[in-house]
Amino acid sequence: MEAKYDVLVVGAGCAGMRAAIEAHDAGADVALISKIHPVRSHSGAAEGGINAALGNASEDDPEKHAFDTVKGSDYLGDQDAIQILCDEAPDDVYQLENWGAVFSRTEDGRIAQRPFGAAGEPRTAYAADITGHVLVHVLYEQVMKRDLKVYEEFFVWKLAVDDDRCQGVIAWNLLDGGLATIGAKTVILATGGAGRLYTGTTNAYACTGDGMAIALREGVALKDMEMMQFHPTTLAPTGVLITEGTRGEGAFLVNSEGDRFLKNYAPNAMELASRDVISRAEQTEIDEGRGVDGNVLLDMRHLGAEKILERLHGTRELSMVFAGVDPIYEPIPVRPGAHYHMGGVDTDVWGRTSLEGLYAAGECACVSVHGANRLGGNALMETITFGKRAASHAADWALTHTTVEVREALETDAERELRVLLDRTEGERPWSIRNELAETMHVNFGVFRREDQMRKQGEIVDSLRERFESVVVEDKGDVFNSDLTQALELGFLLELAECMVIAGLERKESRGAHARPYDYPERDDENYMRHTLVTWQDGRPKLNWKPVTTTKWQPMERTY
Amino acid sequence: MDAPEWACLLDVLDLIKDKHDGTLAYRKSCRMMICGSCGMRMDGRAVLACKERMKPIVDAGHVPVISAMGNMPVLKDLVVDMSPFWGKIRSVKPWLDPGYDEVAEKERIVSQQQMNVIHKEALCIMCGCCVSECNSMEADPDFMGPAALAKGFRFVGDARDQADVERLNTLNEEHGIWDCTRCYFCNERCPKGVDPRDAIAKLGAESVKQGVDHDMGAKHAKWFIRSTETTGWLRETELVPKTQGIIEAIKQTGFALKLARKGKVPPPFPPHVAADVKEARALRELVGEQGRDGALGIVQGEHALGRIEFTEEAGARENAPEIQPGVEPPPAEG
Ligand SMILES: Cc1cc2nc3c(=O)[nH]c(=O)nc-3n(C[C@H](O)[C@H](O)[C@H](O)COP(=O)(O)OP(=O)(O)OC[C@H]3O[C@@H](n4cnc5c(N)ncnc54)[C@H](O)[C@@H]3O)c2cc1C
Ligand code: SF4
Ligand code: SF4
Ligand code: FES
Repeated sequence: MEAKYDVLVVGAGCAGMRAAIEAHDAGADVALISKIHPVRSHSGAAEGGINAALGNASEDDPEKHAFDTVKGSDYLGDQDAIQILCDEAPDDVYQLENWGAVFSRTEDGRIAQRPFGAAGEPRTAYAADITGHVLVHVLYEQVMKRDLKVYEEFFVWKLAVDDDRCQGVIAWNLLDGGLATIGAKTVILATGGAGRLYTGTTNAYACTGDGMAIALREGVALKDMEMMQFHPTTLAPTGVLITEGTRGEGAFLVNSEGDRFLKNYAPNAMELASRDVISRAEQTEIDEGRGVDGNVLLDMRHLGAEKILERLHGTRELSMVFAGVDPIYEPIPVRPGAHYHMGGVDTDVWGRTSLEGLYAAGECACVSVHGANRLGGNALMETITFGKRAASHAADWALTHTTVEVREALETDAERELRVLLDRTEGERPWSIRNELAETMHVNFGVFRREDQMRKQGEIVDSLRERFESVVVEDKGDVFNSDLTQALELGFLLELAECMVIAGLERKESRGAHARPYDYPERDDENYMRHTLVTWQDGRPKLNWKPVTTTKWQPMERTY
Repeated sequence: MDAPEWACLLDVLDLIKDKHDGTLAYRKSCRMMICGSCGMRMDGRAVLACKERMKPIVDAGHVPVISAMGNMPVLKDLVVDMSPFWGKIRSVKPWLDPGYDEVAEKERIVSQQQMNVIHKEALCIMCGCCVSECNSMEADPDFMGPAALAKGFRFVGDARDQADVERLNTLNEEHGIWDCTRCYFCNERCPKGVDPRDAIAKLGAESVKQGVDHDMGAKHAKWFIRSTETTGWLRETELVPKTQGIIEAIKQTGFALKLARKGKVPPPFPPHVAADVKEARALRELVGEQGRDGALGIVQGEHALGRIEFTEEAGARENAPEIQPGVEPPPAEG
């Protein structure tokens, strides 16, 4: 066994780094482990900002923030967790600023805040259009300051569970090859989202839901897995995010007939309606044959070159680089793309899972503060606040509990399993399975869910899993074997897809991101104001339910 | 090999890895120019693979050569060992030193203008493209390099940081700011517009302003400025002793005499004053008049240059957004 820590944090995005800092400051011996260098984490791609009721741009308070979040969650969020998030958010943001985060400023030199979708007050703190980048770098600076141990480019493949306790991880060393068991009294999963389940996604290649699948395999439940948020303007074909700011500046969404189709869906708000409304409108147009190669068009030509160059410079660069289209002269093709996974590892408000010693925080966890629909700016805040909370609990626990004892057999078993995969020389390479999975998820488990399509998707995933059984890794070497890690990631994704399908089928209503206009168009609070909970039993997902925690907000209809 | 029209270099590498050679090794993650994973060389120049569109290259009938970044040891195919890179980043103590330990109750009050001073440096994604191309680094592997120096300025220029002088002293040491050859490759190749060479210039100006001028480079720069006001000529006979010290200067007398024989050096006495010395003095005054020195002076200098360039291009850059003190960069959402 490699080393023993009090707290081992898997993943070094905003959630993971914030957790590691907290654990260290609480006196614990801590290490971070990440399959990519910390600053390469996808938290860095967040543009818009981070929500906290600082009240710098208006009269605001945590209570209002909590109400907006509860309502936005379509009443599937746990209200105790939401209250904690909103109460702790302001201090957590001040701390980031104190550490050196380069926030944009108001005229009087405070942290600037601006309005964001479905928020009653301008409460999104931001750093120009690079908020996530700024936060990732400030957190890494603090990690360097504390000289924390970071296992860089180590791919965590399994948890080391012994004596019904999580006591570390088993990881593949990407740079040198070979498995290593790293022991720890507590492990915090902070591995981010799983957008790579879909062809069109705003998520990075690294967002393959590893932490969720790793926990699932050890009997830990995943919560609300059917809740995948789609962002209405992702650039075709790659899925790179086009900011809502384009619509804010006056860009139109048009179909193949040149019609501003939103007049039929959201005649008042038009292009400024909420994300889920626009995503569904776009998908309807595409499904009914008024799309352009499976997309709709975002037209900003009428804004003029001057405004585009001045205000939408970043968008123009992305369009030119990734779609080869200059928005000054041509409309850009956009479509709804998988953006954020509200679901994840089931935790309590301290990030604890049902497995002793195992915690989860950030996008891979489901506390749940986002319920069925996340508000823009709340995800980054969750990574910080709940990363911190999970670590403070884990550090406490570790400092008052026993040592680490992991049987040798765990690693030898893992070694054997890996050998089987690496020694196989004949069979299918993973990429075709990966592409089929992502394409079919998009069609059958996308913006709209239909009973027959979801069933079909279940069968497709089954058959893909069967094909995966005989998958071949071409690279047999030790140094930077991404062929191997990509195959292991695909294994994770396939299991998560199974969980999503079963949860989606059983939630017989329309709520937030789960839209079933054909059979259950309404929200059904009586039967479904509860969380889906999927566990893994004998290689199959099994569904359970868990009540939603409500404190003071009773469900109302969600209109804006 | 077939690739879609929209493919960038990274997409093409993915296709190769999927369909031709699963062992091909390269780093990637965000595929949107923000994570800094995919730095590599195309036809000998450092690029981000996810930023390079392939269509124009294919249309031109060109077959590009792809290789790993320079100045860093290659581990496999396009994967380099970044640990020396990170070691240098660490050497600049890259974290805010506010001068006290406890966290303030609220945010510190800083104006947008003050924040804009470090806007460009804060854009750095640590991709290593600048380091890959750095000429000084090639000659001296211990040179701190453009990325670490830009990171250094990120803190020296931060109004909230209280360790400026200490930082400047470190950055002025051997292998520091004065060892840059000013080749500007880093500015040219940085995919994010950080302009590390400008950050180095700002560090130089700030060092002189703060009296951190023990390095030859600083002395050299100071003497240049002095020459503009006195004679308007660069007087090598004085420049050398002023920058390198008397002993070094004596060692170089032979070389100086050779230069003198070829008429390259004006004799030291009597001081030779340039015919147009007035112009040199006027220029010096003009720069002085701008009223701000140190790092801020450089930012201003850039803006002045930008304006000249811009009138020359007859308004071509008029609409390009530029970060200006006091004006907020346009925000975006995600
Ligand atoms: C384009 C985009 C824009 C967004 N904009 C906003 C916004 O404006 N505001 C907002 O609030 N939210 C936004 N979000 C959402 C938000 O950014 C994410 O939910 C959040 O950053 C996730 O952080 P994280 O720390 O949980 O995960 P990540 O930052 O994704 O980090 C995951 C970490 O886990 C590591 N890891 C994963 N698997 C393994 C493994 N097997 N072994 C070892 N390490 C592993 C990775 O290396 C990485 O370090 C945006 C998301 C996207 C995609
Ligand atoms: S200008 Fe200086 S730092 Fe930049 S590449 Fe050239 S030598 Fe290196
Ligand atoms: S300065 Fe530019 S080229 Fe250098 S590491 Fe930073 S982003 Fe990359
Ligand atoms: S893949 Fe992230 S910068 Fe290219």
